[in-house]
Amino acid sequence: MTRHESELDRAERSQVKWRKYAVTVGRIGLGVALLVAWKVGADAAGPLYAADPINVFQRIVSDSMSGSLLRHITVTLRLSVEGFAIGCTFGVALPFLLRRMPRLARAVEPYIMASVGVPKYALVPLFILWFGIDDAPKLWLVGLLVFYPVFIAVFAGIRNVDRNLINMARVAGASEAMISREVIWNALLPFFFTALKIALPRAVSAAIIGEFLVGNEGLGYMIEYSRQNFDTTGVFTGILVATALVLVINAALVRLDRHFNAWRPIDRDMAL
Amino acid sequence: MAAEALLEVRSLSKRFGNRAGREPSPWVIQELSFVVNEGEFLTIVGPSGSGKTTLLNILAQIDTASGGEICLQSHAAPIGNFKSLKPGLACKIGYVTQEDNLLPWRTTLQNVLFPLTVQRRLNEDTRARAQMLIRAVGLAGFENHYPHELSGGMRKRASLIRTLVYDPPIILMDEPFGALDAQTRAQLQEDLLRLWNLGRKTIVFVTHDIVEAIALGDRTLVLSRSPARVAGEHRNSIPRPRDIRGIMIHPEFAPLYQRIRVQVQ
Amino acid sequence: MATWQRTEDPILARLARRAASLRTRGDQVLVLVVLLALWQGLSLVFGTYWVGSPWGVLMRLGKGVMSGEILRHASYTLLEAAAGFLIGALPAAALPFALRRLPIVTAILDPFMVGGYGAPKLALAPLFILWFGIGIESKIALVAITVFFIVYFSALAGVRALDPRLVQMAQVMGADERDVARHIVFPGAVPHIFTGFRIAMPYSIGGAVIAELISANRGLGYLVQLSAMNFDTTGVFVALVATTCIVFLGNWSVNVIERRLLRWRPRPDLDMQAGS
Repeated sequence: MTRHESELDRAERSQVKWRKYAVTVGRIGLGVALLVAWKVGADAAGPLYAADPINVFQRIVSDSMSGSLLRHITVTLRLSVEGFAIGCTFGVALPFLLRRMPRLARAVEPYIMASVGVPKYALVPLFILWFGIDDAPKLWLVGLLVFYPVFIAVFAGIRNVDRNLINMARVAGASEAMISREVIWNALLPFFFTALKIALPRAVSAAIIGEFLVGNEGLGYMIEYSRQNFDTTGVFTGILVATALVLVINAALVRLDRHFNAWRPIDRDMAL
Repeated sequence: MAAEALLEVRSLSKRFGNRAGREPSPWVIQELSFVVNEGEFLTIVGPSGSGKTTLLNILAQIDTASGGEICLQSHAAPIGNFKSLKPGLACKIGYVTQEDNLLPWRTTLQNVLFPLTVQRRLNEDTRARAQMLIRAVGLAGFENHYPHELSGGMRKRASLIRTLVYDPPIILMDEPFGALDAQTRAQLQEDLLRLWNLGRKTIVFVTHDIVEAIALGDRTLVLSRSPARVAGEHRNSIPRPRDIRGIMIHPEFAPLYQRIRVQVQ
Repeated sequence: MATWQRTEDPILARLARRAASLRTRGDQVLVLVVLLALWQGLSLVFGTYWVGSPWGVLMRLGKGVMSGEILRHASYTLLEAAAGFLIGALPAAALPFALRRLPIVTAILDPFMVGGYGAPKLALAPLFILWFGIGIESKIALVAITVFFIVYFSALAGVRALDPRLVQMAQVMGADERDVARHIVFPGAVPHIFTGFRIAMPYSIGGAVIAELISANRGLGYLVQLSAMNFDTTGVFVALVATTCIVFLGNWSVNVIERRLLRWRPRPDLDMQAGS
């Protein structure tokens, strides 16, 4: 009887190892296959429709050397961060303000929720009309796109804070400001961070898309400009760099999140 | 009245797999042997954590054993290797678990019909049987309700008749009435006995409640604490039909209860 | 809550709640009136050239609907969104089911899927326009790829949310693999898939509109861009209103379908309204 279950254990353990090995090999294999497919596809489709990966690589190198790539990235990032800051500030401040005026909050809520349905990107031409062709319309876009998830997360978080905790704090003599700070803020931190994880990459995407429509600098501009000049290699390069940028930011956020919140029990409802 | 052994358990042992490099885990069940006769209502009592649910899982073929043998209707059942398990042993073993495990997206009637659907036995006769069982446990009128619209007791009843509807030769029950209030529990115990009387199926009923074990069973096994073994076997001669609510007043109850309680310690 | 609302009497309590919700409704109407008045005021100060006016937008909207122009562009955008949604969502929902018994393949794909999900798909708009031209195909492609990754992860979560006890129960009753997939895995995953649909829906319309903003000759995004280029603010607002209407239409459709398909779900507590 001891015989068959240690056989089972051993079999299980070696199976797990084989699995991990197979998965890693599979991933590398798939990655290589995709690169090969890209090369083959590029050769077949011709230089107008597809850029050869080697050319793209060379372009990345040459653009990096000349500093133009870095310049575009910096511009996009600056836009993203500025817009992010604006959106975050309002997204956090407004719910706390509304907390003090519950009647106003109830009256305004349906309109805020309805405004979520307006596709913000569609507003860009209007912003260009109103605010000109500099950074302003793009900042508005990024700000709005960051504002909504942060606002909703903070608003919902405040609402769901345990009434008992608040009442207890009141009884103990805490001022409203202190209650806001200690009780509510701490309770909604996890929701806030989840919203941030969504909002920051969104900010970068929004900056890039804004640059499609207006401006003469930045990654988005680089992509669209290349397209208009039928410079397919430029288009591919821009998209690759933009994608890499967003993915790196995503990964960094996940790492940070894990580091700071390692002690928290994972709430399954908060993950996608 | 020579009763036939429907299910034989011999020297059953179980311990859970140990992680690499750690001590082998303790035996949960060790050298457990007993027999279940055809048409018998067998109750099994034991303290919590004594491996009762594990035992039933092994009998129902959803968990492996580390040793021993199980024979159903004189055929040996595969128990050593996960891959060779046949849950339910081709629908010969029914299993009413502690949680009702009703499919939330099916109505009461659809849930009761579920095993028939899956066994491709859905026809007019089996439908009629399902309806009869629904009426028998007082769920008439709730056929088109979803589980979330039913009370805990009603869901229990539905899960009970869901197993009864396809009439397996032997039915395992794992503290099915444990989570209910006393009133509902008594009602369901009566319903169960009444339904059992109609067909005199073989039932293995696990509970931690000695009163319930005596009220329902023909014979009661007592399991010892971990590692579980048969600590004792008690024949219950209180005549049927039994008065569930008044079982404790029956003269034979007290001594039987004492004998069992002493062993459960 | 005001003192008079904290009453024990159930009838009085109900009346109090009714009165409170009426008051909120009244407040909301008031806010709407104030907003419209503000808008009208702004149009007087800055001129309808810059801001458009509520009345002007309404009139133009009416005219546009009557002439069928708005509906034409709207249907174009809607078509792009719907077609892209189907092309993206259906394979995305089916894939986790197909791969259910091949966890290794799912694991291999995972980093690629996560990468695809995180990557800015909308940045591909110029590429698709390069490939497919300014017609409908580029918009459909963009919507499809955006929706695909969203729905994939929701469907994956749905397939993974499988309750093993339900599967065990079904197996004890004689279910084979196909029965389990059909009666347990799939119905259990549907709510998650619908969540994915609901999240992806605004992205489908948004994606179509963005692609139209960049380059198109039909559609509501095109209308927005055209009006803006002609400094026709009223026209921009009209197109925006129409776009928002479509989003609401989409939301409503998803809700209706979900309610029908998911009647069996326990409804979460709907009266979690904040009190005072």
